[in-house]
Formats: sequence, structure tokens, C-alpha cells
Amino acid sequence: MTLSVWRFAHLALAVTASLFLILASATGIILAIDAAGQKQPAYTNSDFEKLTLAEVLPVWRQNYLEVTEVTVSHNRFVTLKGFDEDGNEIDAYIDPKTGKVTGKPEAESSFIKWVTSLHRSLFMHEAGRLFVGINAFLLILIALSGLALVLQRQKGLKRFFTKITKDSFAQYYHVVLGRLLLIPILIIALTGTYLSMQRFKLFPEKVQNHKEIAFPDEAPKAQDIATFALFKQTHLADVQKIEFPFDTEDPEELFTLKLTDRELKVSQFTGEVLSEVRYPTTTVLETLSMDLHTGRTNVIWAIVLGIASVSILFFIYSGFAMTLRRRATRIKNKYKAEEATIVLLAGSENGSTLGFANAIHRQLPAAGHASYLAQADDYTLYPKATHLMLFTSTHGLGDAPSNARKFLSLLQKQPQAQNIEVSVVGFGSKAYPDFCGFALKAQEILDGQTWAEQLLPLHTVNDKSATEFTNWVTAWSAQTGIALATTPALYSQKPKKLQRFKVVSKMADDHTFILTLSTPWFAKYTSGDLLAIYPDDNTERLYSIGKVKRRVQLVVKRHENGLGSGYLNSLQTGDSFKARIVANHSFHLPKKPVVMVANGTGIAPFLGMFAHAGKRYDCRLYCGFRSNTTLTEHYRSVATAQMLKHHLKSFHMAFSREADSMYVMDLINRDAAFFASHLEAGGIIMLCGAIAMQQDVETVLETILASQNKQPLSHYKENGQLLADCY
Amino acid sequence: MKVFYKLCLALLLLASFQASAQTSKYKCLLQMSNYIGEGAYITVSLINAKGEYEKTLYVMGDDAQWYNSLKEWYKFYSKKPKLSAKTGASVAGGDRSVTVFEIEDSKIGKGYKLRFETAVEDQKYHATDVEIPLTAEGLTAKTDGTGYIRYVKLSKQ
Repeated sequence: MTLSVWRFAHLALAVTASLFLILASATGIILAIDAAGQKQPAYTNSDFEKLTLAEVLPVWRQNYLEVTEVTVSHNRFVTLKGFDEDGNEIDAYIDPKTGKVTGKPEAESSFIKWVTSLHRSLFMHEAGRLFVGINAFLLILIALSGLALVLQRQKGLKRFFTKITKDSFAQYYHVVLGRLLLIPILIIALTGTYLSMQRFKLFPEKVQNHKEIAFPDEAPKAQDIATFALFKQTHLADVQKIEFPFDTEDPEELFTLKLTDRELKVSQFTGEVLSEVRYPTTTVLETLSMDLHTGRTNVIWAIVLGIASVSILFFIYSGFAMTLRRRATRIKNKYKAEEATIVLLAGSENGSTLGFANAIHRQLPAAGHASYLAQADDYTLYPKATHLMLFTSTHGLGDAPSNARKFLSLLQKQPQAQNIEVSVVGFGSKAYPDFCGFALKAQEILDGQTWAEQLLPLHTVNDKSATEFTNWVTAWSAQTGIALATTPALYSQKPKKLQRFKVVSKMADDHTFILTLSTPWFAKYTSGDLLAIYPDDNTERLYSIGKVKRRVQLVVKRHENGLGSGYLNSLQTGDSFKARIVANHSFHLPKKPVVMVANGTGIAPFLGMFAHAGKRYDCRLYCGFRSNTTLTEHYRSVATAQMLKHHLKSFHMAFSREADSMYVMDLINRDAAFFASHLEAGGIIMLCGAIAMQQDVETVLETILASQNKQPLSHYKENGQLLADCY
Repeated sequence: MKVFYKLCLALLLLASFQASAQTSKYKCLLQMSNYIGEGAYITVSLINAKGEYEKTLYVMGDDAQWYNSLKEWYKFYSKKPKLSAKTGASVAGGDRSVTVFEIEDSKIGKGYKLRFETAVEDQKYHATDVEIPLTAEGLTAKTDGTGYIRYVKLSKQ
């Protein structure tokens, strides 16, 4: 497959660095947990920020025979080294305000030391560090090429965080998580690289030394350290380390203050700064990199780093899963382009469309036809071709998939010499706007070519349906007389990961039943989505679902010998089965006033919608059934309860086979003025149920709108005010 | 005869007891020079008059896998690789370390020396960075180093 440069770069880099990255992120997770945990015993004082050296130094000196050194760690623990009144060595955490010992610094466990060493040098010392550094740099490139891929896919920065088309679990979460964790991963990679470069002295380091200090032979008169101006101004929070004079009488002995940005030599008698050295930028950057890379200064950041490390492992898995899937549909041609009589072109983003093309391509040579399969972008002249097929998916908003970007312009530049019979098959999902948008464009351009003769009109395949595809195969075979297999199973691409659903309850009357299903915890869906079930290997049946109390609810009509309904009806409470949820974005509850119109089982999504609607929504329900049964009584009680909660504004029910036979259309006619004004005010009408009901309702609405002198129904349809999910 | 042996033994025990009891604490300041590189591994050893290692007083550097970089000392250490000496962290360029040793008074003025041995990852090894004779003056003076150590200063506590 012709992959974009960015995808190729992204993959090549990932392959190179993956082994190391698995190791680095696995150890990184452990170190992040350790860093997050380190903050736990809080040895610091709550007044820490306010304390100045002038306040604390005299306290420390009072508490101990001698203080030799005090360090303030990045997590604000203060460690004092010195000697107690009995001359015993002290090396402990102290409360900086009182000077009292609060805890013992714990040595890093040998396990963490081992993990750290593995993380930074793979136990290979310098060579290992170099290798790790290079890989950290590769991670920067991977993150950047990944960013480029997302930008390309989403068509620019503005749409960076808009929705991603879900194709497979691996692909979807690779992009979704990639967008979210790009920044932390980039920071990890940049800081890791910097630390390595620093380590190998790739930056000129200007070490400034303290100037020679001229010491007097005799010690000046000692002043109280609490009165030193410098100590009064300096906060403990800005200190990394204080070295105390070794000998309190020696004039050459000084205080050494290592602050966050500079180091000072201070006279122990007068508090005068005798020498000052600012740290070079490289040191400041190194500290910053260390803080950012290890998360040692902030628990939350440490947790973010841990999550980013986990995600790198996931990216490696999902990235390779995607690549393997793409590789699975590689092209093998027996004949060359110039010899081919039948040419198949595939425009495929993730390889599944190519899979369909390949399934046709493989059958042809056996039947004695020289077939040739190519990427759409490899379009060229086919001097012997009599038939051409274009199989193409659509990327983003009606754009070409990645291997068909140049196809349309090539088509116009290179007209074929002889007439060729052409058929276009578009693949896509009706869950998105611009269904098969690119196939449509390609068909238009092909229609404009003098050499191209349309063999069949544009055929579309929704959600990789093998049945819909075989419809085209049958038609093409009939037209050309070339026999092709028409068993859907041959073309069926395995349904995407199925999830297990369990029947929680079942409620039934003579014709209809309601199934309530529990889902896996991670299933994401909402009312109006569809449940795809598989009664046998090559049949997929879709049911509209409502989300009621975090359960999937579907209403099913029992059909004599119905494949789907029979299958569902055979399920008892406690049974579980495999199915998947298909997002149906065009039939989700809009945030505008809505009139819901349903007949029969079409009520299912609405039962879920107003249960979750809340008072912000403005919902009304019109529904029609055959007769009054236990189920319709159930709907009535649910609707009444929702009206009491103000989730539903009004509720109207019609029965066609009871006394005063009424259809839902009669209800609409009764409230004609309301429907007209509702549409005019921009309100939405949602229809769910039988196709016949949809047609009837549309006719009734046409009449109403005409009689009320409003715009025709088509106007509101174009405006997206009429949503339908009918079958 | 028996009585004589017992007496000898008693005397010997007493002598050794006294010898070990009579120790003094010395505070030691170790100031590193501003070299560039990793933290230095440093050992402080007691060397007898024959120039042999007798005892390890202090080890700075807490990862045993690097001990072999202190070559001379490692020969002594590897014979009996159990450290009774104090251990601490390695010391980086420009840093200082303050610690306390206990030295038997009987060893002073007997030709004993304190040897500071230093090694830095991927850099030169100094077998005798600093050597201080165990004499009354040696134990109070400031001694300059020849390698990573700028100077060592001792004072009796």
C-alpha cells in the first residue's frame, strides 16, 4: 500500500525503537509509581514556604552540637547532617521550624536502583546510556510524526480534537489516546534526550568557579547569624543545600549556600557574600529536565508520567496490530498492467476495501481472465482492458482515502485508448455524513470520460456488509457473463470485536417482547444506536436500542420464522450472547425541542431517550400500536412517570385495532397546527418504526404544511429537522 | 605452668581490651575539586607501617558493582568482602563531605597512615589521592589532594 510519508516514518521509527521503548516504558511505570509514592510521608513543615534562614539556622545550631550540612530535597524534605550533644552523627529528616528529628531518610531500595539502572543504561553503562539516549530521541521523532499524522487525518489544527471515525479498537484508541498523551510523551522524550545529551557533554559547559577570596589572618568579630541580612532575605524554599563552616573559629571557613539558581560563599562572622556564582543554563535545564522526566517534584505529574508510560506500551501494541492488519491485504498480481483485461482499482484507508477487491481479483485468473489489482493512485493506461472496477472507501468528509489522493487527477490526465466498461463500488458507513462521498465523486468524473462506459450504476456497501457486496457481485456477473462466487460468507470480513451481552429481563405480550441487556462495563452507547446481532455466520441484524438505567433495551416484534427475532426470542433471562453496538450518530437526541413519533417496536430508542433527557430537553411522544396490551400499558406507565418528572411534555397513544381505531397519523392530523409551528420554530421530528409509517407520516406532514402555508417538508428535511430510523 | 598461662592470657586480654577501648573521634572534612564527571567513589583506609591495608574506615559510594574501580583497595576488600566500615553516598565534583572516624590512640605516631583512594566512572583512578600520617600534626593539619580531592581536614572531636 502506498502509505503517506508520515505513516511510513512513524512506523519505521516505531519498529526501530519498539523493543527499547517496551523496556523503557515498563520500567518507567515502576519508577513513576515509586516517584508518586515518595511524597507520602510528609516530613516537611506546613510553614515551609515562609521560613527564612535567619529564623531556622539559629534553631538548628541550638538543637545540635554541630551542624555540618543541611539539604532541602525536591519534595521539600529537610535533611540535617551533624552531631548531637553526645557527639553521635546525625543524618535525618528534621522539622525545619523546630529542628527536631522527624524521620530517617530511607535508602533507595535495591529493586528501584536496579530498575533505574535498567531504565537509563540497560546495565550496559556508557554504551547503554548512549543507546537509551538515541532511542529517547527517536521517541521525539515518533511523537512528532504521529502529530503530523493526526493533523493530516483531522485536516488541520482546528479540527484536531474533533471526532475520530472508529474503524477498529486499535486504530481508534491509537489516535484518541495519541492526541491526549502527545504532550506528556513529547516532554518525556525531550527531557530524556536532553539528559542524555547533557551526560555526553554535547553542550559546552561553562563552569564558573568561585573567585579567590582573600581571607584576613584574624577572624573578624562574630555577629549573630540571625541578624545576617542575606539570611533574613533568603527563604528555605530557595535553598538546595547549606554547608556549614567546618570550624567556627577559622576565618577561612565559610557558609556555602547552594540556592536554586546560584551558589554563594558567605562569611560565617559577618554574613557578607564573599563570592557568588550563577549556575550555567545547562545546569538549570538539567534540573528542570530531571524534574519533568522523573516527576519527583509533583505527585500529579508523576501519575501523568506513569499513565503516559502505560500508553506507550498500548501504542506499540495497537500500532503493530494496525500494521499487521494492513499487511494482511497485500496485492499479488499474476499479470502486468499492460496485459490485463480486467483491472481492479482499490482506494482503501485501512485495507478492508482492498480486501473486498482482492476477493474478486483472486477468482478471475482461474476463470481464464487476466486480472490486475492496483492501488487507485497507481492508475495508468491499460491497453488491453475491457473491464475496470473501482472499489473505494471515503476518508474524512468525502475525501479520498490515503492511496487514492491522486486518482481523480490521474483519471483526467490519462484517458484510456479503448472503451472500457466501468463499475464503481463505494464502501462506507451510514453512521456518518458523506456516505460514500468519494465514490460518488469518482463516479461523476468517470461518467465524464469518453472511454468509460458505465456498466452498473454506483453501488454502495454499508458497514462492510458482505450481503450488500454480493448484490453487486451478482449484478456484475449478470452483466458481464463472468461467473463470480456469490456466497456472502466468502466476502464477509469478520465482524469487529464482538462484546458479550447478557439478558437481564424479558417482558412479552402476544406479538412483541422487550429485552433488557447488561453490557460489558466499557461499552459506550446511547439511545438511538443500533445493536448488531449475528443469528448465523453471515447474517447481521440491526435493532434500535434505548439506554434505560444503564442497560440496553430493545423492543422486538416476533416474526414467524424471523431469523433475528427468533434468535432473540430464544434467549432467556441469564443467557448471554455476542453482539456489537453500532453508533448511529444521526439518530441521537438533539438539544432542540423534539417530537418523537413511533409505531410498534420503534418506541425502543425513545424509551431510553426521555429517560435520560432531563429537564433541559423539550420532548413529546406520539406513538401508535395495534392493540392495548401489557406492553403498551408498560409504555404508558413509563411515559406518565416521565411526565411527572417533567422529562416529557406530552404523550399521545393511538390503537388501530381497538374501539375508535386510530393511527399515529391521526394524532398528527389532530395536532396539525402544533406540528406546523414546531417545524417552523426549528423543532425536530424523530421517526422510528416501519418504513410505511415513515411514508404515511411524511405525507400527512406535507399536507399539513401546505394547508398552513408553510415551507414544503423537503425544506425542513434538508435543514436536518426530520430524523428517521425506519426499517 | 597452668597458672602462668592463665596469667598471660589475662594480661593479653586486658591489653587488647585497653587498646580497643582507647579510641578518639576525628571529624573529617573532605572537599572535592571542581572536576567534571560522575560522583567519585572514595575509600578511607588505615595503612600500617609496612604499607599494608589494615582496616577500612569509610566507603563513599553505595553501589558495590563499582568497588572494583578502586583497584588497590579492592584487592584487600575482595579477600573478605564484608564491610564493617561506614558507608555513604559518592561525592560529586565541588561537593564536600563531613564525617567522623574513630581511630585507636595506640596507632598514633606508629607509622600508620590514612589513605584516601578515589575513582570516577570512566576517568583516572587515584590510588593515593590523599595520604595523612597518623601523627599529632597530621591529624590537625589541612592536607591537599592530588586527584579529585582538593583537601582533607581533620579535627579531634
